[in-house]
Amino acid sequence: MHVIIETEASSPSKPQILSLIQRMAATSSLDTTIAVVTPENIAFEYQLAGPFRRLPAYLIDIAIRWFFLGILFFVAVMFLNFAGGFGGPFFVAGGFITYFLVSWFYGTILETYFNGRTVGKWACGIRVIDIEGRPINGSRALIRNLLRIADFWPLAAPSQFSSEIPPMMIIPTGMVALVTIIMTRRMQRLGDLAAGTMVIVDERSWELPVVKVDDPRVAALASYLPGDYRVSRSMARTLAIYAERRHFLTPARRREIASQLTDPLLDRFEFRRDIDSDLLMYALYYKTFLADPRAELPDLGPLAGYSPLLRDVNRMADANRRGSDIVGEKTGDAEFADGDIPTAIEVAPDGGAG
Amino acid sequence: MNVAKLLEKRRGQWAELEKLCGAMETSGRTDRSGDAHHKGAAGISRFATLYRAACADLALADAYQLPPGTVSYLHRLVARAHNQLYRANRLDPSTWGDILFRDAPRQIFADPCVRIATIVFFGLFALSMFVAANEDMFPGFAERMVGEAALEQMEEMYDQPLQGSLDHYVTMAGFYIQHNTGIGLKCFAYGIFIVPCLYTLAFNAISLGTVFGYMSRDGVEGSDNFFEFVTAHGPFELTAIALAAGAGLRLGVGLFHTLGLTRADSLRGSALKAVPVMAASAMLFVLAAFTEGFLSPSPLPYIVKAGWSIFSAGLISFYFVILGFPRDEFAPVTRPYQSPFADAVDDADGEESDTPIHNRSASGAT
Repeated sequence: MHVIIETEASSPSKPQILSLIQRMAATSSLDTTIAVVTPENIAFEYQLAGPFRRLPAYLIDIAIRWFFLGILFFVAVMFLNFAGGFGGPFFVAGGFITYFLVSWFYGTILETYFNGRTVGKWACGIRVIDIEGRPINGSRALIRNLLRIADFWPLAAPSQFSSEIPPMMIIPTGMVALVTIIMTRRMQRLGDLAAGTMVIVDERSWELPVVKVDDPRVAALASYLPGDYRVSRSMARTLAIYAERRHFLTPARRREIASQLTDPLLDRFEFRRDIDSDLLMYALYYKTFLADPRAELPDLGPLAGYSPLLRDVNRMADANRRGSDIVGEKTGDAEFADGDIPTAIEVAPDGGAG
Repeated sequence: MNVAKLLEKRRGQWAELEKLCGAMETSGRTDRSGDAHHKGAAGISRFATLYRAACADLALADAYQLPPGTVSYLHRLVARAHNQLYRANRLDPSTWGDILFRDAPRQIFADPCVRIATIVFFGLFALSMFVAANEDMFPGFAERMVGEAALEQMEEMYDQPLQGSLDHYVTMAGFYIQHNTGIGLKCFAYGIFIVPCLYTLAFNAISLGTVFGYMSRDGVEGSDNFFEFVTAHGPFELTAIALAAGAGLRLGVGLFHTLGLTRADSLRGSALKAVPVMAASAMLFVLAAFTEGFLSPSPLPYIVKAGWSIFSAGLISFYFVILGFPRDEFAPVTRPYQSPFADAVDDADGEESDTPIHNRSASGAT
C-alpha cells in the first residue's frame, strides 16, 4: 500500500506526474480498507476499525475487569469470614497480585491467547493483527496494552474547575489516541504504532451476494444484443455494481443513471429510442454474467415475436394495424418501454448491500 | 465459462471452507464441523486445500470478471481463513529466560537511555539527600519538598523497633508488587512523551533522597530503624525505577532520533528494544517487593540485611556487566556463507568446491 514518491532534483515531466497520479489513484482508495499480501501471494483487504468501534469494546473490557475484580473481592471476603483468618494474609497478597495482573495485563493475555481479541473486541467484532496481516505475538500485545495509559493523555481533573468535585476524580480524555488514529493511514493509536499493530473489523455476515434475474423480458432483450459486442472489463464492473445497487433506487432514478451509458449503445445496437434504459442495462448484465450462450430462449409468452430493433418498428406497427395477436393483448413497444418495472425483477434482498 | 456456472461450481467449496472456519473459531480444531472427513489430520489438510483454492479464486477474480459483491465476499472469506491458518504466537515461556538473561542485560549495557535515566535518578537522589541533610546551609528544604506532615509521619512510623509476623510480611509483599511495579510500568508508558517519564523519575528521586537526607540528620527519631529498613531492598528497588525510566526513554527517543528510518518504523524498533529492559525492571521490582515484604521489616540482625544488600548489589553488577558485556567483538570468526549448491556450479578453475566463495572470486580476478 505504500506509494513511493521519488523526490528528484529535476522536476518530473508531465507523463511522469500523470503516471504517478494514476498509480496513486490505483493504490490508495479513499476508504478505510487496508490490503494485506499473504504468503500465498494474493492480496486481500481488511476493513479498519475506527474509534467508534473501538471505544465500546474498551468500555466493555473495563466493565468485565471490574466485574471480575468485584467477584474476586466478594469471594475473598466470604472466605476470610468463613475460614476465620486461616491463610488470610496469603489470600490478601494473592488479591493484590491478581489485581495488579488483571489491571495491567488483561489485554495482553487475552489478545495473545485469544487470537487478537479481548472480550470487548469479540463483542464488537474487531480484532488486532500486526501491520503485515499476521496475528500479533506476545511482545506486541504487551507494548500496545502498556502504552494505553499514554494514549489516554491528557488527563482532565474536574476538581480544577469546581471545588465541589472530589479531587480523586480524574478523567482520561484520550486525545492522544484520537489524534493519532485520525492522522495515521492504518488508524493506529500510539500503542499500535509502537507495537506495529492495527485493529480491523472481523466480519461476521457471510452470505454470498447473488443477483437473480427473474424477469423474462431481460432474457428476451438480451437475445437481441448483437453477438459481436464485447463487454469491456470496466463495463462489466459497472454493470455488476449497477445490478447490485439498483434496488436502492426509484425507477425514475434508475433510468436517469442508466441512460448515461445506454444512449450511445441504443444507436450502436440500432435499437428503438424508447427502450427502457434500466432494462437494457439489466439485459447487458444478464448476458455478461449469467446467460448460457447455448441455452434455449425461455418461453416468452405474450412477448414472443417482439423485436426492439429500429428496422422492425414498421413491421410491428403493420402487424398491430392488422390486428395480429403475435404480441398478445398489449402492444410490444409498450412492454419494453414501460417505466413501471414490475417487482418481479428484483435483486435478491440480501444482495449487494456491501 | 460464465460467472453463474463458475459461482455454482465454487460455492460448495466456499461454503465448506466457511464451515471449517466456524468450527476452528469456536474450538480451534476442525473436528466440530460435523463432517466425517473433517476429523483430525484430514480436516486440517482439507482446510488448507480449500484455503488455497479460495486464494486462487480471489487472485483470478479479475480475470473471471466476478461481480464486485462476490469479490468482497471472497476478500472476507480469505481473511477469515487466513486468520485461522496463521494464528497468534503464544507467549512462549521458554523464550523468557532468553529475554531476561541474554537480551535484557546486553540492551541495558549498550543503551545510552538507561545511562541517562540512571544518572538523572541517582544524581538527583544524591543531590537532594545532601541538601536535605544540611539543615544549616539549606534551611527548610526537606519541609518544602516532602511536607511537614509527611516527615512527622515518617518519624512516627520508624519510632518502633522493626518487628512483624508472617501474616504481615505476606500481605505487604503482595502490596509492594502491585504498587511499585505499577509505578514502574506507568513510568515506562509515559516515556513515549519523555517529559512525564522524566518528571516521575525526578519526583521519586527527589522525594526519596529528601527523606533519606532528613533521616540522616542528627537528632531525628527513628533514623536507625529507617536505615535498617531500607538497606536490604534499596539496591533492587532504586535500580528498578531507573531501568523502567530508561526503557521508557528509549521509546520516546525513538520517536525523534530515527536513524534514517521512518518515524513509525523507528518507534516500532525502539519499542521492541525497550521490552527486555522493562521485563528486567519488572523482575527487579518483584525481587525488591519480596525483600521489602519479608526481609526488611523482620527483626533479623542488621548484618544479615546489610549482607543481603551487598549480595544483591553484586548480583545486579554481575547482571549488567558480565552478562551484558557485548559478545560480538569476541565471537569466533565464522566461515563465509557457502551455498549448498556450490558444487553444482561448474568451476572454471577446477578448484575444490569447499573453498570459500570470496577466495574463489579473488583468485579468479588475479
